[in-house]
Amino acid sequence: MTRLDIKQDLSSLSNRKAAENRNKFNTNGVYVINMMGSPGAGKTTLLENILPKLSAHVRTAVIEGDLATRNDALRIEKTGVTALQINTNGGCHLDAKMIEKQLLKLELDSLDLIIIENVGNLVCPASFDLGEDMRMVVLSVAEGEDKPVKYPTAFLNANTAVITKTDLLPYIDADVHVMKKYIAEINPKVIVFETTKKDGVYAADQVVEYIIEQVKLKQSR
Amino acid sequence: MHETVLMQNLITTVAQALENRNVVRVNRVTISVGELANALPDALSFAFEAMTRDGILKGAELEIESLPAVARCDACGHEYRTDGFPIVCPVCKSTGFRIISGEEVYVQSIDCEEE
Repeated sequence: MTRLDIKQDLSSLSNRKAAENRNKFNTNGVYVINMMGSPGAGKTTLLENILPKLSAHVRTAVIEGDLATRNDALRIEKTGVTALQINTNGGCHLDAKMIEKQLLKLELDSLDLIIIENVGNLVCPASFDLGEDMRMVVLSVAEGEDKPVKYPTAFLNANTAVITKTDLLPYIDADVHVMKKYIAEINPKVIVFETTKKDGVYAADQVVEYIIEQVKLKQSR
Repeated sequence: MHETVLMQNLITTVAQALENRNVVRVNRVTISVGELANALPDALSFAFEAMTRDGILKGAELEIESLPAVARCDACGHEYRTDGFPIVCPVCKSTGFRIISGEEVYVQSIDCEEE
C-alpha cells in the first residue's frame, strides 16, 4: 500500500478565487462589504434605508444572494441603486466564484462600494471569503441576546455588527447590553452599531457615516 | 450545510493527486476538519459515501481527524489552543487575537494501492 501525503486545504480553490476578487476590487478602488445574518435579521431593510444616503456620497452597487426569487433585488432597485440577484437554488452561502461571475456585469472602475447581501444564514457564509474588505453581521434584538455566543463563528471574522430592531426592546425579553457583551467576548474588535425605527423613521446614520469613512480611507491609500 | 461542496472539492483534489499514477484502489482518505470550520463529521461522511458510489473512490473509507482551533495573541504573540469563548490569552490575559488555524478542512493523506 502507498500513502500519499497531500496536505491540501479544501477551501484553497475558493480562497484563490477570493484573492482574485480582492485584487480586482483593490485595482479599481472599490470597497466591498460582505453582509451576513439570519433570515429576518433585517439585512435588506437596513440596505433599503442606508442606500439612498450612501449613494449620495459613493457610487454603490448591491449583489443580493438568496435561495430563490428576485424579491430582494427588486426592493433594492427601488432605491435607485443597481442590484444583481444571485439565486443559489438551495445553496446555503455565496462563494467567491459566484461573485466573480456577477462582477462581469458591473463597471468596477465606476464604482466605489459594493455591498453583498449573503444568503440568510448565520453559519455557512462565515466560512467563505468573497474578497471583501468588511464583514458585517446583522442581527436583530428579537433573535435573542445570546445569538452571538450561539453562533460564534460568524462573529469571529466580523469587523462590524449591526443590531437591528432596537425599538422592539420594550416588548421582548432581551438586553442589548448583554448582546454587546457577548459580541465582545467572541471578538472584541467588532464595531457595533444599533438601528431603530421610531415614528416611521429608520435611524442608521452612524452605519452610513462609518461605511463612507471606510470607503474614503481605502481610496486614499 | 456546505459539506457536499467540501466533498466535491475533495473528490477533485484526490483525482488531481492520483493523476499520472497507476492507482487501482483507494483504501482510505484522511482529512482534518477544523473545530471552527462549520463542517459536521457525520454530514461529511454521509456526503462522501453518497458521492463515491462510482469512480476511483468507490469503497474507500473516509477518516476524519479533528483540527484544534489555535489563536495568536495580538498583544504578546503567544499561540494557544482555544477552548470555547471568550478567547483569552493564557499568558497575558489579552482578549485580542487572530485565529491562525482551525477554520480549514485539509486532505491529509490518501492510502492507495498501485499497480
